[in-house]
Amino acid sequence: MERRQLLKTLAAGTALTAVPLKGFAGQAITSSKDSLAVTKQLFDKALSSAPELIGFKGATKPFNKTALTIEGNIPKDIQGCFYRNGAARHERAQQRYNHLFEGDGMIQAFHFEEGNIYHQGQFVQTSKFKKEEQAGKFLYSGPDSQIQGALPVSSPDDINTANTNIISVDGKLWALWEAGSPVALSADTLQTHGVVNLGENSRFGNKLKGLAFSAHPKIDPKGDIWNFGFSPSGHIVLFHLNAKGVTQNVNMIKTNYKGAMLHDFLITHRHILIILPSLVLDRTKSGFFGAINYDANLPMDVLVIDKDTLTLKRQYKVAPGFAFHYGNAWEEPNGTIHFDACLYRDANALHFMKNIMQGDQMAGVAPAKTTLYSLFPDGKYKEEQLEGSADFPRIHPSKVGIRNQYLYSTGSTEVEFWFDSVSRTNMGSGKVDKYVYGKDFVVEEHIPIATDENEDNGYLMGTALHIPTKRTCLNIFHANDMSQGPICRAWLPYHIPLGFHGNFVAKS
Amino acid sequence: MKRMTLLTTLSLAFASNIALANSVTFTIEQVKNDKGTILAQLFKGATNYKAGKAVSAQQVKAKQGSISITFNNLEPGEYAIRYFHDENNNGKLETNMFGMPTEGYGYSNNAKGNFGPADYNDMKFTVSTTPITTQSTVSY
Repeated sequence: MERRQLLKTLAAGTALTAVPLKGFAGQAITSSKDSLAVTKQLFDKALSSAPELIGFKGATKPFNKTALTIEGNIPKDIQGCFYRNGAARHERAQQRYNHLFEGDGMIQAFHFEEGNIYHQGQFVQTSKFKKEEQAGKFLYSGPDSQIQGALPVSSPDDINTANTNIISVDGKLWALWEAGSPVALSADTLQTHGVVNLGENSRFGNKLKGLAFSAHPKIDPKGDIWNFGFSPSGHIVLFHLNAKGVTQNVNMIKTNYKGAMLHDFLITHRHILIILPSLVLDRTKSGFFGAINYDANLPMDVLVIDKDTLTLKRQYKVAPGFAFHYGNAWEEPNGTIHFDACLYRDANALHFMKNIMQGDQMAGVAPAKTTLYSLFPDGKYKEEQLEGSADFPRIHPSKVGIRNQYLYSTGSTEVEFWFDSVSRTNMGSGKVDKYVYGKDFVVEEHIPIATDENEDNGYLMGTALHIPTKRTCLNIFHANDMSQGPICRAWLPYHIPLGFHGNFVAKS
Repeated sequence: MKRMTLLTTLSLAFASNIALANSVTFTIEQVKNDKGTILAQLFKGATNYKAGKAVSAQQVKAKQGSISITFNNLEPGEYAIRYFHDENNNGKLETNMFGMPTEGYGYSNNAKGNFGPADYNDMKFTVSTTPITTQSTVSY
């Protein structure tokens, strides 16, 4: 009887009621009209008279390995592969996703081999991608796109698009989303191996399976990987992995943050900084991203978390703002913490990612600006905003969590549409070294390539779409002389979808 | 010894696959391996389901592929089944830190949850005077 009673009351109830991402997949959209078909019609119409939109059309097939046409000279000390990731499968069966963040991820690889550069592009073969590819149509609703008769979602990994960033971990690639697991791929063939169980080979076992793992992990100079995972319930999981990707420590903190989205964070040599932006949800608005509102009266919360224990040590409230991305943080011996943010004073940039899917241009979206913060031990803080638009901030990889001399960013100088320039800001003198590609180019994230630990050495590398010829080019600059323009440009014979983030993996 | 005897008795009872009138045979498909057991609970009516009060429960050894479980001698009425694949044999459904299941699970009528458990109305079935069948594929 004891055993029978036990079986009758077994503890399945609580777990089968978990709702970690309720509202994530089109739950709040009630319109009976096929908004995805309308989005496709609007985009195609806009594209016919606005060729700069071509980078947002998406791709339907992989790109086989192709040698690029080189202008200038490829630096001999660049050996390895530059990987980028971004949403690329936006359309199926006359439907187009309503938000730029919804498409399936595609990895772009630029292999530096034997004096040449080769491009290869491959969709991440997630379970979602494979099912929809086979069906020839979208099967799952996206955050802002409701599909009629959508398949149910039992885990966020059912709809993991692995579309935001890509890092190298122990010889493999991890394609990253922000609401589910990393997806492992082969570094040379881009073949997908499957979702990573973050607790594997550690004391955590399956306790971490399927958890959110943000697309912006920070890899410290020792190689250790730090990250967070956010649940719209306000829970934040903090991860510390070693350089081989084996989890060393994990902790969960509960916050009152109701903004539904948290994209990036920072580390110093002692602390993790989680910055909760001034975002709130307005459930009267449709969609997951669509319901996110900026609250101009809500201060940002900076959570300072001890890296050894992954527990909250103190909090600072700073002026309202919102940032997708942060460059770096570092700490003085007296405990003063410095960090930078690409700060918006509204959430229009987030909603622009919906407008662009319909072919709307970027008019009226105020750009992010690099904003420098100092958090003092007495609880006070200082904020200083730099001139000029700046996002996609990057730093020399050897300076993550320690004081950096330079901050690289992408910005808009002559045009409002996406980005047209790249710059390096000297954090000490404020001097800016900038290169403007001009109105014929749509510029993507550029990343520093280290040749040693000296920030003055090395290169900056990034892709840009050339609008008149509808081709993408890879560009390499001397890090300490950006304004002279690229020293090497490698042309693809075609264009690839505009993406989000990437990293260079040096040949070992 | 007492515990072993109890388990043996239960196993024999649970292993019964003969479908009688007033019975339901539940087929669980796509069990991914032979580890541990499948634990299934039968609920009579929505109120009992919501309260977590099972009228009967069965435990069978997991087997890769398909497994059938029969609940016999049921009073006529409305029922629903939920189960999970207890791979580590600890009697509870393992979850991750966000509370999401990390072991396989499912429901009668192959009902599926969407960002949460399945709806009772999708799981329910009626038992009367003839044996009935229902099935589920495991969600891992």
